[in-house]
Amino acid sequence: MTLLERDPNAPVFWKGNMPVTSRYTFGLAGERFFRAIKDEGRILGTRCPECDITYVPATLFCERCMAELTEWVDAGEIGEVHTYTLLFEDMDGNRLPEPEIVAFVRLGDGGLVHRLGEVELDELYIGMNVEPVFKPAAERTGSILDILYFRPVD
Amino acid sequence: MGMRKVAVVGAGMTKFVRRAQETGKELSWEAVRMALDSCEMTIDDIEAVCMGTAPDAFDGLHMKAEYLSDGAGAWLKPYMRSYVGGGTGIFAPIQGWYHVASGLFDTCLVVCEEKMSSFYPHAQAAFLTIFDHTTERALKPNLLWIFALEMNRYMHTYGVRKEDIALVSVLHKRNAADHPCALLGEPDITVEDVLNSEVLAWPVQRYDVSPVSDGAVAIVLAAEHVARRITDKPVWIEGVGWCLDTAYWTNRDLCYPRYVEVAARMAYEMAGITEPRKQIDIAEPYDPFDYKALHHLEGLQLADRGQAVQLYIDGTAARTGNMPVCPSGGLLGVGNPIAAAGLMKIAELFWQLRGEAGARQVPGNPRRGVAQAWGDLMQVGTVVVMGR
Ligand SMILES: [Zn+2]
Repeated sequence: MTLLERDPNAPVFWKGNMPVTSRYTFGLAGERFFRAIKDEGRILGTRCPECDITYVPATLFCERCMAELTEWVDAGEIGEVHTYTLLFEDMDGNRLPEPEIVAFVRLGDGGLVHRLGEVELDELYIGMNVEPVFKPAAERTGSILDILYFRPVD
Repeated sequence: MGMRKVAVVGAGMTKFVRRAQETGKELSWEAVRMALDSCEMTIDDIEAVCMGTAPDAFDGLHMKAEYLSDGAGAWLKPYMRSYVGGGTGIFAPIQGWYHVASGLFDTCLVVCEEKMSSFYPHAQAAFLTIFDHTTERALKPNLLWIFALEMNRYMHTYGVRKEDIALVSVLHKRNAADHPCALLGEPDITVEDVLNSEVLAWPVQRYDVSPVSDGAVAIVLAAEHVARRITDKPVWIEGVGWCLDTAYWTNRDLCYPRYVEVAARMAYEMAGITEPRKQIDIAEPYDPFDYKALHHLEGLQLADRGQAVQLYIDGTAARTGNMPVCPSGGLLGVGNPIAAAGLMKIAELFWQLRGEAGARQVPGNPRRGVAQAWGDLMQVGTVVVMGR
């Protein structure tokens, strides 16, 4: 049904798209954060001593007091599952053969949203300790996907 | 009108560069820190934040202002983004102004950011999608097209010569050589250089155009009672105005920006200006292209129609002239990170009227200035009058 009486022979639509390609810089803090992932397999944060907050991923500044952050810290090897979800559909709404687990892993006062792996669904719980599994060093490119997933720590 | 007086009390600006390593957040933060430090305020002294940033497509992020909010100092504060394309850099401080003038807030931070280098291969392509999808986009138009068509009509109607229009580019780029944040300052550029530069879309040549850039600018606004505590040199926002013409360019006068005139008259009336040519000491019209500065000077009532170029020919527009135009170096010289470029003009008036513009300082203790931007679908005018 259409809202207007229309000529059935009129053209129906003009097809166009909005092509966008972007080259994103990592930023001053991101440069160091991703270099540490790539070269050292480490996840770094920055600390604001004034606000007593450790930002993970590391940031150049404290969003609360706007101070420049110069104290870089290792966010540690173990994070905690703060919350998780099971994905049953892909981005286009297609059913996945197996549900994918995505979790917010708490590191410092922040953390990363990433995949979980090597875990059985019935073992999964909020509060679980997990560690990152990195790609082999030679295959890392300085991407968040250099972390394959997080897995439970015994 | 029952509005409170509002002053600019601090300003900060990053360098305008071709391609910043910093993220947009980091650029915003740098400008905010400089603005706060310039008036010895902390983020806790700020009650609200206004963000101006142009098309999301440039940074490659939808809801860009939300992404930028932490860098803008908006954590747990009332925060608002305004957006009228190229006019944004003057529109955002107008938003900040009424946040404070209304009595709702005593202080407001205004931040404008643009990172045009993300778009690949060239930011011009982002503009394709602002055109009507069925009547125009199929022809693959870009902004150079529009400017070329408008510039040609302007030259034809008033008999303005290209070699005279080139004087605008020469003056602004020379002025920019004295700006520490400038991307394209050229102290020795000549009219011949402009006329010999590569033709992009006749009659627009390379040096008729401002460069795409990355950068951020921030200013601090305060209500009168707060401003007087912070500084003994407040610069008041005396008048504001904005206006949109028809969005369809074939229905618009290409030779004369009516929308700028309406916005300017609104701002002048608020500022009590009856004779702008006598009462305005410094003009910072929007100059993404050289002829646009002329167009806008005419819309601002600072020159008769088709006559603005005389200000450049007779030296009135020079930094030492009777009404310096773009002593900052403008978009043509300092650079054109869209929204940030507009707010740069407000920052420039702030520094000029306080006598803090360094090598760019206009002599004679200027008392009042006007800044203007233009954009949207090439039909918005935004105007701010500042004085001390
Ligand atoms: Zn802090």
